[in-house]
Amino acid sequence: MSQKMEHQPVSLREKAHQIFSTAKSVAGKAEAEIILVSRVDEYLRFGNNELAQSQYSTSRNLSVRVASEKKQGRVTTGTLDKASIEKSVEKAISQARNSPEDPDYLPMPGPQKYSPVDRYSEKTVEAPAELKASYIGSAMDLAKKNHLLASGVLGTSVEHVMMLNTSGLEASYRGSGGYFSLTMDADNGNQTGFALSTFGDIGELDPNRVSQTALERARLNKSQAEIAPGKFDVVVDPYAWSEMLLFFAVSASTGYSPDLGMRQYKEGRSYLSGRLGEKILGDNISIDDDVYHPSQAGPPFDGEGCQKSKVSLIENGVFRNLASSRISQRRYGAVATGHELPLPNPLGELPTNLVIRGRGTTKTSEELIGELDKGLLITRFWYVRETEPKTKIVTGMTRDGTFLVENGEIKRPVKNLRFNQSLLELFSKVDAVSEPVRNFSEFRQFRILQPGILARDFNFTSVSPF
Amino acid sequence: MLKHDRFQCDSVISTKDLGEELARISLDLAKRENATYAELRLVNTRTEDVSVVNENPASEEASTIGVGIRVLYKDLGWGFADTDELEHDNIRGTTKKALALARGASKLGIKVTRASEPVHVDKWESPVKKDPFRVPTETKYELLQDTTKRMKEKDIVARRGQMNFAIIEKYFANSEGSKIFQVLSYAGVSAIVAAKGPTGVQRRSIQQSTGGGYELIDEMDLPAQALEITKDALALTRAPTIQEGKSDIILSGDQVALQVHESCGHPIELDRVLGYEANFAGRSFLQPDQLGKLQYGSEHVNIVMDATLDHGNGLGTFGYDDEGVKAQRKYAVKNGKFVGYLMSRETAPRVGETRSNGCMRAEYYKLPIIRMTNVSLEPGTWDYDEMIEDTRDGYLMVTNYGWSIDQKRYNFQFNTEKGYRIKNGSIGEMVRGPTYAGITPEFWNSCDAIANKKSWVLWGTPNCGKGQPGQTMITGHGASPSRFRNIRVFGAS
Repeated sequence: MSQKMEHQPVSLREKAHQIFSTAKSVAGKAEAEIILVSRVDEYLRFGNNELAQSQYSTSRNLSVRVASEKKQGRVTTGTLDKASIEKSVEKAISQARNSPEDPDYLPMPGPQKYSPVDRYSEKTVEAPAELKASYIGSAMDLAKKNHLLASGVLGTSVEHVMMLNTSGLEASYRGSGGYFSLTMDADNGNQTGFALSTFGDIGELDPNRVSQTALERARLNKSQAEIAPGKFDVVVDPYAWSEMLLFFAVSASTGYSPDLGMRQYKEGRSYLSGRLGEKILGDNISIDDDVYHPSQAGPPFDGEGCQKSKVSLIENGVFRNLASSRISQRRYGAVATGHELPLPNPLGELPTNLVIRGRGTTKTSEELIGELDKGLLITRFWYVRETEPKTKIVTGMTRDGTFLVENGEIKRPVKNLRFNQSLLELFSKVDAVSEPVRNFSEFRQFRILQPGILARDFNFTSVSPF
Repeated sequence: MLKHDRFQCDSVISTKDLGEELARISLDLAKRENATYAELRLVNTRTEDVSVVNENPASEEASTIGVGIRVLYKDLGWGFADTDELEHDNIRGTTKKALALARGASKLGIKVTRASEPVHVDKWESPVKKDPFRVPTETKYELLQDTTKRMKEKDIVARRGQMNFAIIEKYFANSEGSKIFQVLSYAGVSAIVAAKGPTGVQRRSIQQSTGGGYELIDEMDLPAQALEITKDALALTRAPTIQEGKSDIILSGDQVALQVHESCGHPIELDRVLGYEANFAGRSFLQPDQLGKLQYGSEHVNIVMDATLDHGNGLGTFGYDDEGVKAQRKYAVKNGKFVGYLMSRETAPRVGETRSNGCMRAEYYKLPIIRMTNVSLEPGTWDYDEMIEDTRDGYLMVTNYGWSIDQKRYNFQFNTEKGYRIKNGSIGEMVRGPTYAGITPEFWNSCDAIANKKSWVLWGTPNCGKGQPGQTMITGHGASPSRFRNIRVFGAS
């Protein structure tokens, strides 16, 4: 079914203003901020060549922040009748009253100017479930013809955000998007292939290409050879990264808190504290936070409604800049870049729209494979976790197709391998890159554009039995 | 407006009464539209999260209420829809959306056979000794500030204390006549301290989540533990790492709990065994033809799946699961042999079982899928001190830092926050980032000692991810310190 009816931005705007009016009157002299988020999601999930789990979800979520005398409280509710809103604001007032003073409290920001982003696709919003089911049906037919099982999900989401505060700020955003993730396998996953595509406009999705890629990899990935672990040159498919590159920006050592913000850097909590100006990656690698990149997603404002700026975090391998906010502006005299989380936020600033890119001409995945003399092609990483924060050593597995490449050609599949690899070292040994793509991540707050790479000396440490 | 049945009653209609009213509307409509089966869950949740990081406080209280409706059409296709708008017309509309998806799915589905379940009309409530929502926010902040202040030392770069509470009122009704009202309460607490030194940033933490209320915060006594973990973190910045090789290891109870979660809890989920998670969470090495045959672990290893209160008030304790199946206790591993799966009504018949053991769980806005309840390693016979004394040469490894395991749950690697060398039955030098790795059945078959009931704790995992779109679930894992022989070990760096 269409996701259109639930998403009339004008009515949500009106609703937000009605709510805000109620919130203001209850808050009295206190400052108040509301964030109203409305979502509609439709997911068609399939497994074993069956459309097994179809779901349609609608939600509206109101978050109210009240601040008075440097104390703040936040209350979130999904119940939007007048009495419930009044109660929520009263709770937020009570919570603020009972909280300690926040040493970083600032009056709420006033009206802001935002650079527009165009992230709302009528095609995606109006795409009927029948169309999506037909894409899945074709994938399942292809799998059946080849004696394989198709599993995966085709999901679309529509989001509308309204933010208002008593200093006169008003921000709004609407966006849509989705992804098609597909596995074709047989023999209890001993033969398996994976493909993924993300999109803002469902018209950009080529479902046949996704199906053909999964099929081709599953056909190739049969009777895998065991190879001894060790260092290999690799080509990593741009959709293979899973959550791996998130660890550039987040550390387990401080309880999965963000690293690339000014506050954590200055407090010494970041693994990069004290290293501004140092070369930490190869000359040919840069990392930006850029919500305005055409392949990015999400609103152009942060958790307190300030406009996000593009930040060049790492330029040609050199650690140059940090994400910042009004709090860091006051604390350290930094230029605020609009990377605050909803307040109160004790963790620090978070760049949510990373773009990892290479210098020079980008190549296709096929060209990267063609340049690999001897090494491995990785089509999917899995279950990646940090083991050491200083050099960002992460461990994880390969899955759904790891292939030995010789003289630029795929020779044979190999069994899955575990790796222990420093991200800083890996991105210092990159010879060539592809265009970055948006990889779907279960960590919804992060949207990372990640390139495919050809890199040297990737450290594999053990082999799985399959 | 709704009232919470147990806490802070100030409104006119209860979750249970509203659930009954909405279920009548939805289930009648589903029946008229020829659904083979239908169920409705109304879930009313209240949460509070309070934290302090260094000098900065943050708190948030949240409340959500909504309905999830699942229908089966012609025994061929499932549909699920949810809403947080509870007007009657919208409940009808949401039911119709679920029906439309089920009709569509039935064109691409296969015949569904569901294990039978008695009709239950019942109420169930998890025990709470101290209502956390009646403890003032001020008191919570005072405790966290006391904790983080005690961590303040030279070279300490991050100090963090956190507590969270939830009360969930859940009304379930299905087209077979079950009507179940449950009130579930949970609490969680953690403290993390990070020190910077010559070896980089080193972390020490304590964490526990259980069923119940503020009594957990009292029991954990964070301020008392703050000094010890701070001392540990500072010492770790100067501690040596360990040489790569094979060694006997003793794991702390909380680390064993995570090992059970990852290497037993997940591979016994029958939906992933049958391939329904192949695209994301993965499959399993534990196949149905190995039931009753595979020696999963040594004879000392007994692992239960137990959602009953007799097992303890854990994150996997409840009266009924989210498809109305009564909480049960079953063995997954008995004397080392693999004997059972976590199941649903739909999957149980696929392995010849006549009844589900009640493992379907989800938030109201997510489709229920098979999740762990309390999957626990039963206590052994060893006194913990005697286990240490009995170990000639090895390592004690304490509290998880990072964890990773392949998609069939075979090849794993876990690194821990701190360790100690054990030499001739005594605990010696501290080591940083001790890591162990292995293959699941080989690892559990190397287990030769499990500490007794005195050291057994029902731990909580509050963040288990599975499903598409991603679902987060809370699970419980009882465990005591255990010893494993001849395991591959190395340092995290």
